Amino acid sequence: MTPGSRRRRPDRGLVRPYVVTEGRACPTRNTLDLVTLLIAADDLPLTGLNPEKRRLMELCRPGALSVAEVAGHLSLPVSVVKVLIADLMDSGHIVTRAAIPSAQPSDARILQEVLDGLRSLL
Amino acid sequence: MTQQMPEAVFWCLALGLLAVTVLLVRQRGITALVRRRNAELADGLRARDEEVRHLASVRLPALEGGAGGGAGAPGAAEQAVPGVGLLDPRLEGTGFAKSVDEVLDRFAGAVEQAQARADAAAKAALKTSMRAVQALANEQQVAISQMQDRHDHPGVLRDLLEIDHANAQFGRRAQAIAVLCGSWPGRQRAASALTDVVRGATSRIRDYRRVEVHGHVDIAVESRAVEPAVLAVAELLDNAARHSQPNTKVEVNLRAVHNGACIVIDDAGVGMDGQAADRASVLLSGGQSVDVTRLDDPPQFGFAVIGALAARYGFGVTADTRSPYGGVRAVVFLPSSLLTHVTEEPEPAPAEPDHAATPQSAPPPEPQPATESATESATESATESATESAGASATEPAPPSRDAAPAAQDAAAGDTTAGGLPKRRRRAPQQSRSAPPAELPTADEASRTAEETAVRMGAFARGTRSGRDARLDGHDEGKTQG
Repeated sequence: MTPGSRRRRPDRGLVRPYVVTEGRACPTRNTLDLVTLLIAADDLPLTGLNPEKRRLMELCRPGALSVAEVAGHLSLPVSVVKVLIADLMDSGHIVTRAAIPSAQPSDARILQEVLDGLRSLL
Repeated sequence: MTQQMPEAVFWCLALGLLAVTVLLVRQRGITALVRRRNAELADGLRARDEEVRHLASVRLPALEGGAGGGAGAPGAAEQAVPGVGLLDPRLEGTGFAKSVDEVLDRFAGAVEQAQARADAAAKAALKTSMRAVQALANEQQVAISQMQDRHDHPGVLRDLLEIDHANAQFGRRAQAIAVLCGSWPGRQRAASALTDVVRGATSRIRDYRRVEVHGHVDIAVESRAVEPAVLAVAELLDNAARHSQPNTKVEVNLRAVHNGACIVIDDAGVGMDGQAADRASVLLSGGQSVDVTRLDDPPQFGFAVIGALAARYGFGVTADTRSPYGGVRAVVFLPSSLLTHVTEEPEPAPAEPDHAATPQSAPPPEPQPATESATESATESATESATESAGASATEPAPPSRDAAPAAQDAAAGDTTAGGLPKRRRRAPQQSRSAPPAELPTADEASRTAEETAVRMGAFARGTRSGRDARLDGHDEGKTQG
């Protein structure tokens, strides 16, 4: 668990999603999907952000999180979170990256082994 | 004899005349008396007639009107009745006046009773029907939330948000009427931050985009007071937004004060005149119960609802100052007894102590894994290296070969949440990307020698060669046959 997600979970029914997005439903960009990784920029101040965006930044500060995970932690619908993330990308608070394929580290290892083996064979 | 006769007759006549005169005079006096009394009686009768007509046409309607129109100005009923007294002051103190007063009293009692009964009946009917409506609104809200989760299309979301908004307003109306009829606000919420309370209230009004919330205070409202506070603030925000131009903002400021916290709502609207402000402050004090049958048409129950909630839960609402923008400034004061400072959720209590107990070498980005299992990681990496150096683990390729921190992460990932679900460990992209490849060769050299790898590669090569030979043979056979 991360420190950010240990925060009090907001009561789901209290603040409705249209207040969170100020009535907007379309994110300003459509490059986001469930596994897009979000990386928070460390240097930008959080002033002027609404509480959900602030919480989102706090969640992403310790490392990268996927869109789906952020939505889960904020307990908001994914489509609503996408609107928020698109806003944060516009303001430069967050950069995104496609998910890292999980097999990459072991690939490097196998390649290293192959290289070692070939070297000692030759 | 003949001379005596006329004399006698004369005397008789004179006597008779005298008697007649006396009688006439007396009769006249009696007649005058009777006539006077008659006139007096007729006058009295007319006065009573007039009095009864006055009772029917003026006094009873005044009583009725005083009782009926008393919603706006409390105490009007008590003032109106003494104002209209007896028409004829001569009747004061007579039995007739007493009877008239008694009739009036009876009438007033009957009116009051009828009103009380009508109020109770109206309240009961409204309460039950509004509770049903409220339950439906809540049900629908759950359904809408589920739909919002399920559909990931912006167009669908836009429609759902609109429906959600309408539903929230609809629920608030039902809730407000139910509260006015003596019901409870109806939903149990977790203790919520003051900001969320205000934004929750914002969710329930039509012009939610015009509300601006300023000020960040680290104060939460206690669970039992969340819903009433939300409802009261929502009514105030609704009033503020409704009575101001659509292009103006409604400004909300949150302030922590010595005895609690304040929510200050300023609008740039038309404001209230003295009479309206007086009426508002009476209603907001919540001192008297509000009669649902006497609300105006269209019914204005916003202040009445707020007053009822404020009196019931012990917070204060005032709306008698002017805002700096010319409109109304409404201030909701929440006393300390309704506030708490809980901003953490109660569940992570077991995870908190060990996090706090070993803060010695926590690196800022990932404090928990390193602190939680320093000893575990040591033992685990030791065993891992042992098994690897033995060369027995040819079939399992990747996991333990990184440095100690990820191993500790794996150990940390083994623990679960309070709900029993496994916790996912966070992957730090910068580190996992740069660090492991740099470390890989050393780990490998420690675990597996080049000779071993060569033997294995040789076996692999032999196997491949024999397999290819077999296939080539098969192909050759096929060719020869064909």
